[in-house]
Amino acid sequence: MLATIMFLWLAFSVLLAAQQPVFDREVRPILERNCLGCHNQKLKMSNFSIATRTELLKGGKRGGSPARILEAIRQEGNLRMPPSYKLKQEEIAIVEKWITAGASMPESAFVKTDAKPNHWAFAPVKRPLVPEVRNAPWARTPVDRFILARLEKARMTPSPEAPKGTLLRRLFLDAAGLPPSPDELQAFLNDTRPDAWQQWVARALDSPHYGERWARRWLDQARYADSDGGSRDEPRQIWRYRDWVIRATQNDMPFDRFVLEQLAGDLLPNATNDQLIATGFHRNSPIQIEAGTDREQYRTEAVVDRVDTTGTVFLGLSVGCARCHDHKYDPISNREYYQLYAFFNSTDDWSEDRPRYNARFNNLVHVHGPLVEFAAPDVIERRNDVLLKLVTLDEKLTDYKRENKVKADDPFVKETEAEIARLQTLLPKGLEGSMIQRELPRPRETHIMLSGDYLHKGDRVYPNTPSFLGALPARETPLNRLDFARWLTARDNPLLARVAVNRIWQEYFGRGIVETENDFGTQGTPPTHPELLDWLAAELMDSGWSRKHIHRLILNSAVYRQSSEARDDLMESDPRNLLLARQTRLRLDSEIVRDVSLVASGLLSPKVGGPSVFPPQPAAAMSASQIKKVWKASSGEDRYRRGMYTFFWRVTPHPALIVFDAPNGMTACTRRNRSNTPLQALTLMNDTAFHEMAQAFALRLLRESTPGLRLDHAFRVALARQPHAKERERLQTLLATERDDLATHPEEAGKLLASTAPKDVDRLELAAWTTMARVILNMDEFITRE
Amino acid sequence: MTNEDRLTLLETRRHFFRDCGVGVGKLALGSLLARGLQAAVKNPMAAKPPQFPAKAKSVIYLFMAGGPSHLDMYAYKPKLQELDGQTPPESFMKGKRFAFMERMAHQKMLGSPWKFARHGNAGTWISELLPRIASTVDDIAVINTMKTENFNHAPAKVFAHTGSIVPGRPSMGAWITYGLGSESDNLPGFVALQSGPRGPRNGPLIWGSGFLPTAYQGVPFLPGSEPVFNLGSQPGVTPSRQQRALDAIRDLNTMRFEQTGDDEIATRIAAYETAFRMQTSGPDLMNLAGESKATLELYGAEPGKTSFANNCLLARRLVERGVRCVQVYHTDWDHHASIKSGMEKVCREVDRPSAALVQDLKQRGLLDQTLVIWGGEFGRTPLSDGEKGQAVGRNHHIDAYSTWVAGGGTKPGQTIGETDDIGFHAVEDQVHVHDLHATMLHLLGMDHQKLTYRFQGRDFRLTDVAGKVVAKLLA
Repeated sequence: MLATIMFLWLAFSVLLAAQQPVFDREVRPILERNCLGCHNQKLKMSNFSIATRTELLKGGKRGGSPARILEAIRQEGNLRMPPSYKLKQEEIAIVEKWITAGASMPESAFVKTDAKPNHWAFAPVKRPLVPEVRNAPWARTPVDRFILARLEKARMTPSPEAPKGTLLRRLFLDAAGLPPSPDELQAFLNDTRPDAWQQWVARALDSPHYGERWARRWLDQARYADSDGGSRDEPRQIWRYRDWVIRATQNDMPFDRFVLEQLAGDLLPNATNDQLIATGFHRNSPIQIEAGTDREQYRTEAVVDRVDTTGTVFLGLSVGCARCHDHKYDPISNREYYQLYAFFNSTDDWSEDRPRYNARFNNLVHVHGPLVEFAAPDVIERRNDVLLKLVTLDEKLTDYKRENKVKADDPFVKETEAEIARLQTLLPKGLEGSMIQRELPRPRETHIMLSGDYLHKGDRVYPNTPSFLGALPARETPLNRLDFARWLTARDNPLLARVAVNRIWQEYFGRGIVETENDFGTQGTPPTHPELLDWLAAELMDSGWSRKHIHRLILNSAVYRQSSEARDDLMESDPRNLLLARQTRLRLDSEIVRDVSLVASGLLSPKVGGPSVFPPQPAAAMSASQIKKVWKASSGEDRYRRGMYTFFWRVTPHPALIVFDAPNGMTACTRRNRSNTPLQALTLMNDTAFHEMAQAFALRLLRESTPGLRLDHAFRVALARQPHAKERERLQTLLATERDDLATHPEEAGKLLASTAPKDVDRLELAAWTTMARVILNMDEFITRE
Repeated sequence: MTNEDRLTLLETRRHFFRDCGVGVGKLALGSLLARGLQAAVKNPMAAKPPQFPAKAKSVIYLFMAGGPSHLDMYAYKPKLQELDGQTPPESFMKGKRFAFMERMAHQKMLGSPWKFARHGNAGTWISELLPRIASTVDDIAVINTMKTENFNHAPAKVFAHTGSIVPGRPSMGAWITYGLGSESDNLPGFVALQSGPRGPRNGPLIWGSGFLPTAYQGVPFLPGSEPVFNLGSQPGVTPSRQQRALDAIRDLNTMRFEQTGDDEIATRIAAYETAFRMQTSGPDLMNLAGESKATLELYGAEPGKTSFANNCLLARRLVERGVRCVQVYHTDWDHHASIKSGMEKVCREVDRPSAALVQDLKQRGLLDQTLVIWGGEFGRTPLSDGEKGQAVGRNHHIDAYSTWVAGGGTKPGQTIGETDDIGFHAVEDQVHVHDLHATMLHLLGMDHQKLTYRFQGRDFRLTDVAGKVVAKLLA
């Protein structure tokens, strides 16, 4: 009897639940995400707050009843909310049902208390239990169990494993950004060891190019570039920072250390040169050099850039929103923003107390300092001394010329020019350095800037961390960047590890476990697999912050090894592939599009690190800048370096990089766009550099294979697989047509070949294969990680 | 559309092109089919409907880089003439911030050396520097109370283009194509043209896409028959060889599409076709020789040369072909010194082609749907500037300057805004850069508050958190 009553009661409540939305689970997130930003107790836009039930029922300036809310969200009348978009149909339906059922909610549902907000990302990382699954044999790693548990719940099955060649190419491209060679492919196909895959994962992660591949991702976030980005876009010396990132990544420097040294390496006791170079991270801010500029304004903008970048990169939070007012959605107040700002406000930057920029002597040391420099101290001292004298003399001369009518033989002018000429001979040239952070001996005062305007100072504030993540205890000496970095990398920071593993994950699957990889706040998307995210974050920290450990976990998983082919059943049940019942095809990164072509052509220089290089680019690419810049294409090895070493002018970046969505280096980029445009086609088809690679690919094919096996070889080199029958047929037709055409127009062959093409090959055949090579290098699959 | 539908379409096309022996882009029916395919693929540049019925379909912005002196062209100030050579009243200078602050202390008032007269039915004041613009003045609306935020060239230019002084945000052309796509299938939707000795400060950043997908960035056109990077084929790649390669690429990609079912491949197939159409249509677009003598004469354009006049004519040809947004740059307006000779030179270069563009668009019935904007990043001071011993000039000024607009649903034959006696401040109808942007988007059928893009956790827009549509500008 009791059981029956229990059963009936249960059934009834289930029924009820189906009819009436549960406030906390269904309604609250909709209101929080879409309405509360403006209609909270503080902002109370249009005099309307939904923070308490009483206020919600009372209504605002534009009407009172809950019916009015419905009208607004349906956007049928003249009151349309939210103002810039419309709620999803199912969201409207939920709100509608909830209101019709009497809009029940806790009285103070959205009243802010001082307690930490109840948001998943701000809660401590706790290692979850690895779930049980039915199809246990499928799971190769704990990662798989998290994914499979979710799939099983949704009654979906994972995809079969991708073909072996595809898998190896995927592994090599993901781990090192370079495809496998035909020999490696063959060895892998022949490898019958039971743990063959684990062995090859280990091998790929040990590649000397692993560091480059994953460093480039970090450089996106560091907004790395080789020039200032302002009006003059002067070149800067900071490639050693890039080298530092490559080395630290290659050596799997513990991630907490990696972060700490970049933010505050200069403040470590007995900081090494390497630790100083690491602080280049926050010297990547653009610098504006223009006559007549208020340098304080741009110093301020650089600090803002550093604060916002810090929030985005390490915390996955849009702290920048709090520059002008309290954050609308996340618990960061305007005051807390400036407390954070204060940590970064005392670095030595180009400001009013340094010499101006002087175009005649190009005193970039003054603009770019502080630097770590590699010349002997006395040489540096002489340079500083002479340069300062030159700049001062030149200013004196300008003043003199302004104030006097100067004749051609003016003695003062003559004398000064002579002295300038003499000094110039003493100026040591070509000194090498790298931009670093350095703390001023006395910290700058920080004030709240009213509405974010540097000229309107509000209250004075002192460095501290946001209270919802744990404010630091007060201390006699002011807190500094090192304190901040220690706080950030502490085990109990809930965000750093979560944000980091999520960004690694998104590179493998095209989307993070949290899709909004730069917003872990209340407005971000919730994680698709929250336990997996926390498990990975715990693994990162417990492995001694080893990023390679995370890579290994993912690469060894079955979920990673699935086929990426679309499935009819999934088109219906999971069109966006959120649950990962298959892998995803990903177009390669801009730099790697170049790299794979270089590898196919056999031209790639494997050199790791060093100064930026100048591969060929269209002649007019530099013509749009204010200051004319010369792009002299590198020769020899440097002409064929990996794309990540291409000199990056912020104002006039290499067109082939930008066209495939390389980030512009102006703000931190935490996820790249993957556009698909006609200009990309023009680049791959017609660009000199890519044409050169196609020519070399063709020559390589002639050299390395016999006619009957040539096409197979080409596919193995480029795609790590054999051609299908239809592909073979189509390309044989093309080859035959090309041969015929060239036989009738042999003069065209000469034009098609590189001037360096050797004389001992069949030139007509080489020309025919040049077209074949171009076609293969233009296949979508070639620039895609399948 | 299902995968099968898409494949059927591809199949039809393949049959059509291969078996009928017709090349891509050679046949009207072919392009119709291609359009069908493009509808199936994810083409970020596909034309999208505006948020509400639009007046304007495209925008041409004639950008006078360097800060044109409003006081010598549009803002007639007899009082300033009277005060010429005198020390400015202290009240004007108090609390003001300028570029080159240190030398502003000892500057004197500077009247305009040029005569002004009323023109057209509207009686719009224009100086003798701009006789052609004066003759078409009833087709334009002059705003004398523009206001911007920063007194240095690079940031002010970035502000005029992106609504932010910090470079790296999307430019207005990128926002527009993001919102509306383009009606041209074989040209970029957003084009930047430049003439003169150098590029504008900050170069491509001011027509960049910022955090919007790079598909929306402006494509700078180069002079000559190959306006876009890599438009020409490499030596030995004859048109038929290129065609054969493209056919093979298309077929191989189609096979891959059949196997993987990934829409990105369909998109890439379409992108290659567009690229090839660009290869064929680019040289035709750039060839001005087909224009009538009268038209060339109207602009002062000379085929084969690079000039502001040629670019104005090219801008018309671009919007005629469905391009959404064209930025035309003229540099050299920074007259700290020698304003007399400097202004005469640049006005001679831009007056005729600017007026010609308005008249030509009008004759062709395109002015109603094309918004033309003429202006720079800021104006200049009523005070003199420059070093002693140099011919006199003016400093940068951001609180009042002039811009004019024509067509695209604006109300012509009017002057908007009133400044004080020396053209220093607006006294009525101030138009902020954000307001101009808001109005431009409104004319294109978009609410500036609703054209947003989420980046780093925040909804960004061209007008930041400001901007209002200038009602007086609307027809």
